[in-house]
Amino acid sequence: MKERFAARMVRIHFGEDDRWQGKPLHEAILAKCKELGIAEAIVFRGIEGYGSGSRIRRSGHWTLSKDAPIQLSIIDTEEQIEKLLPFLDAAVEEGLVATSAVEAVRYTREDAPHDPKP
Amino acid sequence: MLNPGKAVKVIIYLSEGATHHGVPVYSSILDFLFYRGVAGATVMKGIAGFGADHHMHSAHTVEISDHLPLKIEFIESREKVDALLGKLEELAGSGLIEMQETTVAKPAQVSKPAKAPAPAHLKIQGKAQMMRIFLSEEDRWKDKPLYKALVEAMRANDIAGVTVYRGILGYGAHRRMHKDHALHSAHQGSVMLSAIDTAEKLRAFLPMVDQMVEEGLVVFSDVDIIKYAYRALDPAEEAASAAPPSASEPRSLP
Repeated sequence: MKERFAARMVRIHFGEDDRWQGKPLHEAILAKCKELGIAEAIVFRGIEGYGSGSRIRRSGHWTLSKDAPIQLSIIDTEEQIEKLLPFLDAAVEEGLVATSAVEAVRYTREDAPHDPKP
Repeated sequence: MLNPGKAVKVIIYLSEGATHHGVPVYSSILDFLFYRGVAGATVMKGIAGFGADHHMHSAHTVEISDHLPLKIEFIESREKVDALLGKLEELAGSGLIEMQETTVAKPAQVSKPAKAPAPAHLKIQGKAQMMRIFLSEEDRWKDKPLYKALVEAMRANDIAGVTVYRGILGYGAHRRMHKDHALHSAHQGSVMLSAIDTAEKLRAFLPMVDQMVEEGLVVFSDVDIIKYAYRALDPAEEAASAAPPSASEPRSLP
């Protein structure tokens, strides 16, 4: 089955060592996405990078960190993403959240149970 | 899709043992014809023959039996054949390519609408689109991983570039929900393909995605290309240039 819908993509950048309530931050965000029934979420580990998630920041310089960069891509409808944003505000202490409007096409097998959106 | 009337029959003569980048030539040619939406193609195996080198090859001589003649035939419109010929010549290597004027009396029936032909490739600058495809690493298409087949299909359709990313964690449309829970099951095999080209070319490629992806999510977004180097079919030019379109979305050709 094929369905097209207007969607929003959120990309969150932070470090692999970042934690939320004792859990790695990326796992915590993924768990929250599942709880909200968000359509698609995937975590990537970068090879190298720097940014607000690298945490080490000295005298106005961004510095390379040993802590691997993590990028999470999350996709769903505008309303679903709105539900996730308050959690991100609380959980992402240092990091970058970028969102963009996208057009999505979802393919599902006829026989497979799938989530109720959009 | 073929219409009744004038058409061209193309016959490519190969040796069975010939390879292109380690893959049998007939199979790369067949893949190429398939991905480019050719109406149909057949590979035939000869039992004996000889070619330009004037060596007699037959099924009886065990030691050279992998040099038996192969023939690939397909029928297409003149325009389509002209568009494919350059790449076919490259793929066929030392093989002979023959073309015959022919007449289609009755085209084969197709149940699905034919895909729109991909527009000719252009050097692009400025506005473009990014297509991301989210899949499971375990998804397969025919005899190969789906993400690999998609990369091959994109190359055959001259999509400017594609990169496959393996996620360390994820879930999504491509994951069946866990039977006992309302939650998706997390797994280790999420994959994302990221391709950048003009909106028209990506749209023209979408019917191929429809055909190949059973479960997954495809996302389109507008992007600005800052620097762009196209991979030309000419190997000399190819070596001279290879640059990612932007620093934030690095990519490379596989």
